[in-house]
Amino acid sequence: MEATVLDSWVLAEFGTPDALVDATRQMREKGFQGMDTYSPYPLHGGSEALGLPPSRVPFIALGGALTGMCTALAMQTWMNTYDYPLNIGGRPLLSLPAWVPITFELSVLFAAFGIFFGLLALSRLPQPYHPVFESDAFRSASTHGYWLSVPQATGQDATAVMDQLKSLGATQVTLVTGEKE
Amino acid sequence: MAETAITAPLDPLEPRHLVAPHHDDASLNETLLAHVWAKPGKGWFMLFGVTLSALGLLVIGVTYTLARGIGVWGNNQPVGWAFDIINFVWWVGIGHAGTLISAILLLFQQKWRTSINRFAEAMTLFAVMCAGLFPLLHTGRPWFAFWLFPYPSTLGAWPQFRSPLVWDVFAISTYLTVSALFWYVGLIPDLAALRDSSKTKVQRVVYGLFSLGWRGSGRHWHNYKIAYLLLAGISTPLVVSVHTIVSFDFAVSLIPGWHTTVFPPYFVAGAVFSGFAMVITLIVPARKYLGLRDVITDRHLENMNKVILATGMLVSYGYMMEHFVAWYSQNQYELWTFYVNRATGPYAGVYWLMIACNVITPNIFWFKKCRTSIPIMWVASIMVNIGMWCERFIIIVTSLSQDFLPSSWAIYTPTWVDWCIYIGTLGLFGTLFLLFLKFVPAVAVSEVKELQLELKHAAHLNGHGTHGAH
Repeated sequence: MEATVLDSWVLAEFGTPDALVDATRQMREKGFQGMDTYSPYPLHGGSEALGLPPSRVPFIALGGALTGMCTALAMQTWMNTYDYPLNIGGRPLLSLPAWVPITFELSVLFAAFGIFFGLLALSRLPQPYHPVFESDAFRSASTHGYWLSVPQATGQDATAVMDQLKSLGATQVTLVTGEKE
Repeated sequence: MAETAITAPLDPLEPRHLVAPHHDDASLNETLLAHVWAKPGKGWFMLFGVTLSALGLLVIGVTYTLARGIGVWGNNQPVGWAFDIINFVWWVGIGHAGTLISAILLLFQQKWRTSINRFAEAMTLFAVMCAGLFPLLHTGRPWFAFWLFPYPSTLGAWPQFRSPLVWDVFAISTYLTVSALFWYVGLIPDLAALRDSSKTKVQRVVYGLFSLGWRGSGRHWHNYKIAYLLLAGISTPLVVSVHTIVSFDFAVSLIPGWHTTVFPPYFVAGAVFSGFAMVITLIVPARKYLGLRDVITDRHLENMNKVILATGMLVSYGYMMEHFVAWYSQNQYELWTFYVNRATGPYAGVYWLMIACNVITPNIFWFKKCRTSIPIMWVASIMVNIGMWCERFIIIVTSLSQDFLPSSWAIYTPTWVDWCIYIGTLGLFGTLFLLFLKFVPAVAVSEVKELQLELKHAAHLNGHGTHGAH
């Protein structure tokens, strides 16, 4: 049997979104890496506080749109101009203006698939289990709580980190350990 | 963490609240999710009974149609399109308000959309489902509906991509898919909120599955925000394209009354008009029943009535243009259609009902008293929906029943099967909507929480003499 790899996090709850963003920035300035914030809605300045690079979703969307466009143009041209040419009132077999609606629709469709599946892939969802769920209090993260997680080497003393978080205004601090994601 | 209520004065240009000021995140969470956890009341079950019975009519109508063929409908020669296409266009049009509210208003940063977008998007989804049923049945043998799509058939034949009817297949299926994705993406954080405030294990597991393990991570929100905005961005031209393509079904033909260039913009305006009316029809009772008055305030309703007024004027302009161009062209068939057949012909009653509902009714919203009166707006919204149905009836049936050759004219009358299927789709729509109200938050909870925070920041700044924040 494969040995279970364990991961630990220090979880800290803050009273307001601003306090959470502030604390995140200060912790990052102190050199903590791999932190994450948890909130019921996107935090203003949250991405900057975590120091995240620009999202890749727009590129995936563009890729989807271009794929859709090329697919639609190639499909219509091959099917109606080469493989199954139909003379409709003497109109040209390659009627590009008539290809426009479907080309647009498929670009939108593929872009939407790109955005949706791109979002899931970048967020590594669906992921029904995550060690942060080990804390019962953490359930407030999706309703009214503002949480910060700081990775912690399993088995090492976390008191220092916990004290720092408390001094930054955390209302409660816990340590969770669970299977590595 | 109770936060203090807004004490600063409100913006004098926006004198009413978007979110009632006494809420914080926890109380919003409780209020907005309450109807999901509460056992449905008598009213819900009664309505559900009504919509289920109507759905039964759909089952009867569809079964009979499948068993006997579409000859049981009132369609004839020359009226080959009738209830099937009228209802298709009507339902698609209703759906458009949902996308407009969620996408276009999001891009224009209209904050008032936040409380009603979930509701309107659900409406879109269900309306498009009802719409799709009609062309599917109209194919006569819906089990061969896959013939509509390009697939490598043994006959070696491909769809004819120069036909607007094929464009329609792509437009509607794309619209349904993108609306569903948009709706679901918006729903994920709220499903997580449901999971985390659930009381039983079953609820927790079910909502846990559908929320995909969402944990509100900052790294996820980072991608989520842009993904949601992009979906809104692509939905905006999509919604315009869909009804444009629907109007091409008519405008590309040569039938008098259909062959006009004003059709695409006029159809889109009509779609938004009827869609907003449907939102009012549904939201007025729903906000009362679900106790959502704190987030769906009178200001939302008034704003929607303003949109109804504006699009109603656009639709009236469309009617004027149709009549003007018919006169200006001096084409005898066009003149006959617009000035004789529609206004005085066998369907003149429907025509004048359409004028009364679509041209005259929205004008009451010039008056603030009417825009803010619940009973008046509710009745007006129903009249608009009736009017828009009449419009599609007039466009389709009058033009087909009397086109070029008087020897091939015929009167169209719907049969009981037509009515069964039409009322049945109302039942399908109502049933889906009631289930939606029961199992999913009817208001985008996470967005309202965010809005509330923004409003508090803004009010705080206003109180210090600075205007506007974010």
